Amino acid sequence: MKNYIFRRTFFDSFVFAYLAMILLVVAGRPTPEQMLNLGQNFLIFVIAMVIGAALSAGLNNSKNPAIHTLGEALFEPAYKKAAKAELPWYKTFSAWQLITFLVVTFVVGLNITKFSLTELLDEDGFAGAVRLFHGLFSPNFEILPKAVLNIIETIFMAFMATTLAIPVAFVLSFFCAKNIMKGPVASTVYMLLRTLLNFTRAIEALIWAIIFSVWVGIGPFSGMLALMIHSIASLAKQYSEMVETVSEGPIEGIQSTGATKLQTVWFAIVPQVILPYISFTVYRWDINVRMATIIGLVGGGGIGTMLIQYQGQAMWPEVGCIILVIAIVVWGMDQASAVIRDALK
Amino acid sequence: MSQPILSLRNLVKTYPNGVQALKGVSFDVKKGEFLVIIGLSGSGKSTLLRCVNRLHDPTSGEILFEGKDIAKVQGEEVRSLRKHIGMIFQHFNLIPRHSVLSNVLMGRLGFMSSLKSIFGLFSDEDKAKALEYLRLVGIAEKAKIRADQLSGGQQQRVAIARALTQGPSILLADEPVASLDPATCHTVMDYLKKVNQELGITVICNLHFLSLVRQYATRVIALKGGEIVYEGSPNDITEAWFEKIYGQGAKEVHIN
Repeated sequence: MKNYIFRRTFFDSFVFAYLAMILLVVAGRPTPEQMLNLGQNFLIFVIAMVIGAALSAGLNNSKNPAIHTLGEALFEPAYKKAAKAELPWYKTFSAWQLITFLVVTFVVGLNITKFSLTELLDEDGFAGAVRLFHGLFSPNFEILPKAVLNIIETIFMAFMATTLAIPVAFVLSFFCAKNIMKGPVASTVYMLLRTLLNFTRAIEALIWAIIFSVWVGIGPFSGMLALMIHSIASLAKQYSEMVETVSEGPIEGIQSTGATKLQTVWFAIVPQVILPYISFTVYRWDINVRMATIIGLVGGGGIGTMLIQYQGQAMWPEVGCIILVIAIVVWGMDQASAVIRDALK
Repeated sequence: MSQPILSLRNLVKTYPNGVQALKGVSFDVKKGEFLVIIGLSGSGKSTLLRCVNRLHDPTSGEILFEGKDIAKVQGEEVRSLRKHIGMIFQHFNLIPRHSVLSNVLMGRLGFMSSLKSIFGLFSDEDKAKALEYLRLVGIAEKAKIRADQLSGGQQQRVAIARALTQGPSILLADEPVASLDPATCHTVMDYLKKVNQELGITVICNLHFLSLVRQYATRVIALKGGEIVYEGSPNDITEAWFEKIYGQGAKEVHIN
């Protein structure tokens, strides 16, 4: 109940403060120095949020449902919603609040991304794009042997990253499952591991690749390590979610025989999760092949590194050949992994 | 007279959400008895059985098993306690993807090292024992079949064989026939009776149906709201007692 009030107030005041800031920028025309003054701007934002919170409380405490806010409409409990009279949307404050929010955001978005039809239809620019496409669509197959060797390297990077991640993620998954980690010590370990994994996953594989290319040098090894770290975090999360959905019955059944914790996990839980585990793992390998290509761009080795070299020299026919090879392999992996996962159901 | 195999002394169980499932239950179970516990859903029957083999931790009170208080034991002692207490469940709780024989062998887990069991290194002696108990419950020919391909009644018999493979001195049965059809119901109850009479294993069984109680129990305890409201011979349960246990207007249903 309290929770709902908090969410409503936070949502409304955030939307209000966001609109207020945009109004300030448009009307006040701040200098670039003022725009960069993070501390001061943050303070203004917080003040706007306080005003927004007061507004939200004021509007929602009114008996008239027409002036209730978007936050109220989003988060109010079902029983309150049921007690209200139905109003046409255009007569409610919340609908206009939503429309204002979306329209303003769209206009600001056009501005920030410097959206420009003149640039898009500019003759010189368009001619450049045509040259590029012409190159891409007449691929230079002289470099095909090298591209094939490089994509094999990429596939193996993905394979090794997945394979090395499996045992680590497998073990971690049980320590990250709420239904296994009961008791004060266990739940602390659970919390710590969950946080660590979430943090690891929040860092993109691309960033890990940069870190490892400094650590072990540019090449497939750093790319593989980056993918491995990312795979461990992702697989452990997916695996542990499976562990959390297992049925309790077999666990009680095995426990009642006097089995140890390890035996209970092995005999009651593992048989229930093994097929989804394999399915997730195949999918992860598929994802890793695609990610390995991107990681190659920052020096992770494989086809990505080759791609960035030719792109830097604007050798479009060669780039075309590489893109074609990547597309065929990714499409093939995608199909294969879908067929295998389907068979495992 | 020999001392009881199991004695509960003022057993209390309060769940973390504040529900008092058992409000001071005391009774003795003699060796070789077929004790049936009856009561409505939520009367505390399941909680009681789960406290005995410590799947649940009792809040207070004593549980004397073969003379030793096991209400507060921890870790390794809980496991060695469970080895001597077999349990079967309403939903059988087998491992669906494993074979029948492999499920029965799980009864030996408590007696071997974790590492050995993970590699499936069950001794020939264990395997022979498992097959012997599968024969006892009449489904030795299904040993190689996956457990989830059996009918409900057959699965419950596998569960009985698994519990017997532990070599228990007590068998706890939590609503063993509640998810079975009436005909299968009697088959499973007959096997429990056989276990009780031929192997001399003490049985404590939760049941819903009074007609089954009269047929199988040597003694009855009725629970209501976590307290004992009746204790005695199954033949002494009158219509009046029945109403007291199950509430006004309850009718006895016969299963044939």
